Amino acid sequence: MPENPAAPGAPYPLGLRVTGRLVVVVGGGPVAARRARGLADAGARVRVVAPEVCEELAAAGEVEWIRREYRTGDLDEAWLAHTATGDPSVDRQVADDAEALRIFCVTAGDAEAATAWTPAVARVRLDSPGPPDPGDAGGRSGQTGEEIIVSVHAGGDPRRARAIRSEVQAQLESGTLPIRRVRPRPGADRTAQPATSSGPAVRDHGWVALVGGGPGDPGLISVRGRSLVARADVVVADRLGPRSLLDELAPDVQVVEVGKTAGNHPVPQDEINRILVQHAMAGRNVVRLKGGDPYVFGRGGEELAVCRDAGIETEVVPGVTSAVSVPAAVGIPVTHRGVARGFSVLTGHDALQDARRAEAGDAAAGHAVSVTGGSDHTLILLMGVSRLAETAAALTTPERPAGTPVAVVEDGYGPRRRVTVGTLADIAERAAAAGVRPPAVVVVGDVVRLAPAWRDHPAG
Amino acid sequence: MSEPGGAAGLPGSDHRRGGRVTLVGGGPGAVDLLTLRAWRALQSADVVVADRLGAVGVLDDLPATTDVVHVGKTSGNHPVPQEEINRILVARARAGAHVVRLKGGDPFLFGRGGEELIACREAGIEVEVVPGVTSAVSVPELAGIPVTHRGTAHGVHITSGHGGLDDAAVAVVRENTATLVILMGVSSLSTIAQQALRAGTDPATPVAIVENGSTPAQRVTRTRLDEAAAAAAAEGVAAPAVIVIGGVAADGLLGSVRDGRLAGAGV
Repeated sequence: MPENPAAPGAPYPLGLRVTGRLVVVVGGGPVAARRARGLADAGARVRVVAPEVCEELAAAGEVEWIRREYRTGDLDEAWLAHTATGDPSVDRQVADDAEALRIFCVTAGDAEAATAWTPAVARVRLDSPGPPDPGDAGGRSGQTGEEIIVSVHAGGDPRRARAIRSEVQAQLESGTLPIRRVRPRPGADRTAQPATSSGPAVRDHGWVALVGGGPGDPGLISVRGRSLVARADVVVADRLGPRSLLDELAPDVQVVEVGKTAGNHPVPQDEINRILVQHAMAGRNVVRLKGGDPYVFGRGGEELAVCRDAGIETEVVPGVTSAVSVPAAVGIPVTHRGVARGFSVLTGHDALQDARRAEAGDAAAGHAVSVTGGSDHTLILLMGVSRLAETAAALTTPERPAGTPVAVVEDGYGPRRRVTVGTLADIAERAAAAGVRPPAVVVVGDVVRLAPAWRDHPAG
Repeated sequence: MSEPGGAAGLPGSDHRRGGRVTLVGGGPGAVDLLTLRAWRALQSADVVVADRLGAVGVLDDLPATTDVVHVGKTSGNHPVPQEEINRILVARARAGAHVVRLKGGDPFLFGRGGEELIACREAGIEVEVVPGVTSAVSVPELAGIPVTHRGTAHGVHITSGHGGLDDAAVAVVRENTATLVILMGVSSLSTIAQQALRAGTDPATPVAIVENGSTPAQRVTRTRLDEAAAAAAAEGVAAPAVIVIGGVAADGLLGSVRDGRLAGAGV
C-alpha cells in the first residue's frame, strides 16, 4: 500500500533520542507528571519548573524540581520544552521563549501554539526467551529486548488517538500483528550480556520456547505464548493444542509436525529433541507448541534440559492445562467446596498399573494415589479412553464404590465437544455405545454430579 | 448428548439479553500469562470484580470507564464474603452490565468459581467461564520445577493445604511416585510436614516453596521435608506461596541454569 503524503500543516513524525539531554517541563500537575515520567524513562535529564507539584511528580526521584514560577531563561540549554501549567498566558510565554531559542515546545491544551505534539504511543518490548539478566532486579534486561513503537496522531483528537493506541497495543501484545523479525538484529553479536556469559556463540543461536498452547481454543493460549508463536521461525507442533494458530503463520514459517496422526506414528522424543536443537543452532527461533501445559505429561522438562545442555536460550510458557479446563468446559469443577478438596492427574496407563500392582498384593501400590481415596477425591485421567473398561474396574475399591460418577469429555473446546457420564460400573459400556474416541479427559469422583449432564443421567 | 451447560459459551455469544458474567482465570500473576480470551473479556467489561491475587497489574490498563470492584483481602481489610461477591455479580449483571470476575489462577481450582457459577446460573444470568493458567502447575514451572517428569513423577496431586492434608494427599507424599502440590499451605506447613513424616514419608523428600510466583518478587526456598517448617520460618516465607513436595522439587533436576522468565516481560 503506498504511503499517503502528509497534509500541509500536519505534524511530521519523528523519534527523538533524549538520553542525557536536558528537557524542561513547565507545570506540576498530572499532565506534566506524565510527560516528565515518560521523558525520564527515555533517559532524558528532566527539569520541572513549578511552584507546586502533584504527589506523583514529587515522588519521582530522578526529576530535578525548580520550585518557583516560570521565568524566561529557564529554557536555556534545553533541547525540548513541555509546558502544561493550566495557565494559558504562562504556556504561551514558554512557547514564545522556545520559539526564540529555536527549540520545539509541546503545549498542553493549545494545539495552535504548539510546535510539537506528543502522540499516543503503543509500545511492546519483545524480550528474548530465557532467564532474566542477573543484573536486573525487575525482570528481563532492557538491553536483551527490542521494542516496537507505534505512534498515533488522530487529527488532533487525543481521545481517539488513545483508543486506537490501546487497540494496537493489545494486538502487539497478543501477537496478532506480524511482529516476527525479518532482518537480523543490528549489532546482535556485539552486545555483550551478562546473561550470556556462557559463551559468545549463544548470540548466533536462535531461542527455543516451550509454549503451553492450552486445550485447543486459540483464545486459550497465553498472551506471552501467542506473542512467541508470532515471532517464531519454526513451530514444532503436536496434534493437540491450538492447531488453528498454525493457519495464521506467515508462509515462510516452517511447521514441523511431530504428533501422532491417524495412520502415522508420532516422532520419537529423542528425534523431537534433536529437531529443536538443530533449528536453534542454525539461528532460528523455535516454538515448541504443545497442548495443555508443557509440564503436565508434556515431557517439557526433557526438551528443556536437552536445549539447555546445548547452550540454547530457553523459556517455558505455562499453559491452561486440559486436566482442569476440559472438565470445566462441561461444567465440572475439579475441586468444589464441600465436594472435593484435592484432585490427582494421572495418565490412564499409570492408573491402571497402580491398580494392578495393588491387586497383586504390592503394598506400596496399595497406597498409590489412584487407589487411595474415596469419591470425594477427584481423579483426572489423561489418555484414559482406550482402556476405559479395565481402568474403571481397577479403580473400583471399597472406598470408591462402583456407583462413583465418571465423566468422559471429548474435544473440550472444539466443535465435537461432548460429555458422556456414567459410573465406574457402566461408563465403559456407555462410552462404547456413544462411540467415544480419544483424545478425551476422564473425570472420576463426586464433582461429576455438578455437571448439568449428570442431571439427565439415570443415576443422577 | 453434549450439554455444555453454559459453562463455556463462545466469546461474545450473546449481548442481546444485556447483562452477563464472565468468570476469568487470571493466571499466576504475570499479566502476559492471561489468555487472549481473558484479555478480550477484560477489555470489553463494564465491571471487573477483582481479587488481590492474580494478574492485578492488568487493572491499571483497563479503559477509564471500567468500574473495578475489589473484593480481595488486603492488609487491614477483611475480604468481601463469598455470598456478597455472588450478590454483586448477579446484581450488576441484572442491571445490564458485562461483569468480569477476575480470579487468580484457574476459576475452578479452590477459587470458589463453582459457587459463583451456580449462583449466577440460579439467578438466570448467562455465564461464561474462561479457564486460566493454574498457579498449581505454572508457579512451580516458572521456578524450574516440572510437576510431572518422566522417571521422577508419573502424576500430580493438587490440594489445598488449609488445615493440613487429607488421606489421599498423605498417601501421595508417602509413596513419592506423584508430585504433591499444595496451595494455601504456608500457615499449615508444620502440620503438613508432621502428617507426612508420621505416615512414614522419607524425611529427605525434597520440598520447594515458591513465593510470589511468576512475578519479579518470585523467591524459591528449597529444603527437605523434615526441615521444611524450620527453613520456611528462617526465611520468613509468607503467603501467597505454592509448596511442592516430591522428587521434582530437588534442585538441579533440569540442569543448573537459572530458571524462569519474569513477569510483565514485554507486556
